[in-house]
Amino acid sequence: MVQFLQQLINGLSIGSVYALMAVGYSLVYSIMNFSNFAHGGVIMLGAYFGFFGLTLLKLPFAVAFLLASFGTLLVAIFVERIAYKPLRERKAPFLYFIISAMGASILLENLVIATIGPTFRTYPEVFPKTPIELGPLAIGRLDLIIFVISAVSLSFLIFFIDKTKLGKAIQAASYNVKACALMGVNTDKVILTVFGLGGFLAGIAGVFFGMKYTVYPQIGNITTKSFIAAVFGGLGSLPGAVLGSVLLGIIETFVAGYLSSQFRDLIAFVILIAVLVLRPTGIMGKVTEDKA
Amino acid sequence: MAAILQIRDLTKQFGGLTAVDAVSFGVPEGGIVGLIGPNGAGKTTIFNLITGIYKPTSGSIEYRSKSIVGLQPFRIADMGITRTFQNIRLFKNLSVFDNVLTACHLSANYSFAEAILRLPRFRAQEKRLMAKAEELLSIMNLLDYRDLIANNLPYGLQRRLEIVRALALDPSLLLLDEPAAGMNPDETEQLMRLIVRIRDDFGLSVLVIEHHMDLIMGVCEHIVVLNFGEKIAEGSADEVSKNAQVIEAYLGTSEEAADA
Amino acid sequence: MDWTYIQGILMLAGINLIAVLGLSLLTGFTGLFSFGHAGFMAIGAYVGAWISASPTSTPAGMGLPFILAIVGGGAAAGVVSYFIGRISLNLKGDYFCIATLGFGEAIRLIFNNVNRFGGARGWPGVPSNSTFLTILIADVVAVLFLANLVKSRHGRNMIAVREEELAAQIAGIDVFRSKMTSLVISAVYAGVAGVFFAHYMTFIQPKMFSLTKSTELTIIVIFGGLGSISGSVLGALVLTALPEILRAFEIWRLVFYGAAVILIMVSRPKGLMGGLELTPSGIRKWTAERNALRQAKATLLAEDSGRKED
Repeated sequence: MVQFLQQLINGLSIGSVYALMAVGYSLVYSIMNFSNFAHGGVIMLGAYFGFFGLTLLKLPFAVAFLLASFGTLLVAIFVERIAYKPLRERKAPFLYFIISAMGASILLENLVIATIGPTFRTYPEVFPKTPIELGPLAIGRLDLIIFVISAVSLSFLIFFIDKTKLGKAIQAASYNVKACALMGVNTDKVILTVFGLGGFLAGIAGVFFGMKYTVYPQIGNITTKSFIAAVFGGLGSLPGAVLGSVLLGIIETFVAGYLSSQFRDLIAFVILIAVLVLRPTGIMGKVTEDKA
Repeated sequence: MAAILQIRDLTKQFGGLTAVDAVSFGVPEGGIVGLIGPNGAGKTTIFNLITGIYKPTSGSIEYRSKSIVGLQPFRIADMGITRTFQNIRLFKNLSVFDNVLTACHLSANYSFAEAILRLPRFRAQEKRLMAKAEELLSIMNLLDYRDLIANNLPYGLQRRLEIVRALALDPSLLLLDEPAAGMNPDETEQLMRLIVRIRDDFGLSVLVIEHHMDLIMGVCEHIVVLNFGEKIAEGSADEVSKNAQVIEAYLGTSEEAADA
Repeated sequence: MDWTYIQGILMLAGINLIAVLGLSLLTGFTGLFSFGHAGFMAIGAYVGAWISASPTSTPAGMGLPFILAIVGGGAAAGVVSYFIGRISLNLKGDYFCIATLGFGEAIRLIFNNVNRFGGARGWPGVPSNSTFLTILIADVVAVLFLANLVKSRHGRNMIAVREEELAAQIAGIDVFRSKMTSLVISAVYAGVAGVFFAHYMTFIQPKMFSLTKSTELTIIVIFGGLGSISGSVLGALVLTALPEILRAFEIWRLVFYGAAVILIMVSRPKGLMGGLELTPSGIRKWTAERNALRQAKATLLAEDSGRKED
């Protein structure tokens, strides 16, 4: 029982990191109907920004943290301007967006390899490694912070989408961008906001990932799993992305714990295939139909 | 005359919306039937049901007295029912000739291997397909445009090409979805004569959805009127045009007519 | 710059070309994008290695002739693709993409974990059977097969599926079957390419068949121009040779690659050939189209001015 709960806690911890990454995918998908594969690269940069903020610039954690997130916000918007906006303007089919996103992802990953170098970096210890004891259970301090900050950021995001004017514009755009524009909504601003939000959260996720594991240029590959989590929860749905991520984190941890760690990465793909076969729109995704 | 197509109590529901409500009518063999009604009356939905794109919620569709409900669209096309689309769905990036040639594929049955190895059977049948495509284009006066990319055809000719493509499948029943949309009175008249000629020369039956009343009244031997998914009238052009319900559906009550 | 060096580049380009041609059928002619074809290459490579590697090497193979490796590797990839197709071909556009991505990565992960095939460390000691001549012959066969397929009713049906799937169905085309045929053939091509690859490098590792490799293949197809065989040939040559020549700038190679991808998508997504062929009939077709367009414009203008005079 104790082991079960412990695994649950571990699963929640990694799940909350996935959730921060996954909402970025869902946000962009909900408006622009394509999977932004460059998101992984942005997350990776977040890890690096935070790392250099702490080690090179010797900033206090909170400052480095925020700086990294604003950095990734800018990168995300930059990628949108360069790689997607021109395609939007010429009404390119969504698959071209995916290819462009792949290009951006390859570009970012290898830019880091070429400039900073491929060696793994380790974050300096910011929080003491001694876990908080809750009876027989051990909760890492870092894990607790990750969980809390994730929960707060995601709640804020969902509040923003639900209650603010700009948030409602984003919701409207997620159903029909053209109609939105005709209603006088500045769709360019909406798109920028969406990428900015996703980018900001990517930064947070990147820093946390770097702190929990290590920093290396191929972090983008791990984010494929968060993408699967977004599909699992339903592409285009934010609560879905969170739900899918938490579930994936928990399932992964249990599989690694009770079966074998070799299957850890594979289980994500098994889930993906199961989702696509049984219910492609995921747990909470939106269903669209084409008029014949 | 036997009915080539018979629909009975056909119903289609999308969630809470009933798009087609217990509609029944038939298309006599060799006849031209019109399907009219205000926008949203369910006409295109019926086309989609007949061609197998949608599955009916209930009711029957019989083609030559055999049920075609549940069949895949390509099988239904193979059996002899083809259609055109309201918002023209040509193979836009292909040439006019290729659009028709592609649709001729049912007239050939060479195998994969014969195609790859360019065996004699392949060559002979390909030649026949090309000749067929040319002939169809020539009959419909589109041969001069054969190398033009379909997307570059003038609108009216695009509609005509879609009809040619449908004819390439050797259909027995042709479904035309608003073929006169966007045409001026001259073009509409040309189209009317074309439809009758096609029916006569190719020995088809035709079911037409249209809003252009002159085409419907001028060409259709029998008319079915829909409104809000239900059939509200059926009969000859004369009968239907005098039907009070039909008039109300189109022109509204006297108050709305005053505004129109 | 000696002949062996150039030969090496050409051989690598020739190997890539086989995979690219297969993918061209799926993406360029049938309109389905895949991010998992490196997975089919991997299947071909590993099955091929297993068939031809000597029973005394580690990992051990069956020591059978090269031709059996080619057939076996290609067939294995084809069979796997059939099952993947059954599951994923009914999905809408971008979900199909995601499925192929998932399968491609899953295949790589499986090979990473199967120690019988060398696991993550890979399979060294694959016999060096890929010669310049065999690759050249394979390329010629691959191109002819594809060219003949495309100019037949089967090929035209695939193109129709790419253009307007709904209209294709109404035109009596079994869309699912066309897509499946296209997928299986593309997988067989990728598998065969994988076999040649394994027997050229004499060493294979799962990470050689990554998402990046799958993306590279798709990018070459787009670069050459969707729907153009000659485009794919040119694309494979240029995009394989260029990075090799730039190997001095190895570290920056992929950086420029990524930037180039974005640039292509943003400025000329139609690719090099834009759907046309560099053959006599292809050129004839292109001139015929241009003439037809010019004539049509002239006729319209004449009609217009005629009407104005009324």
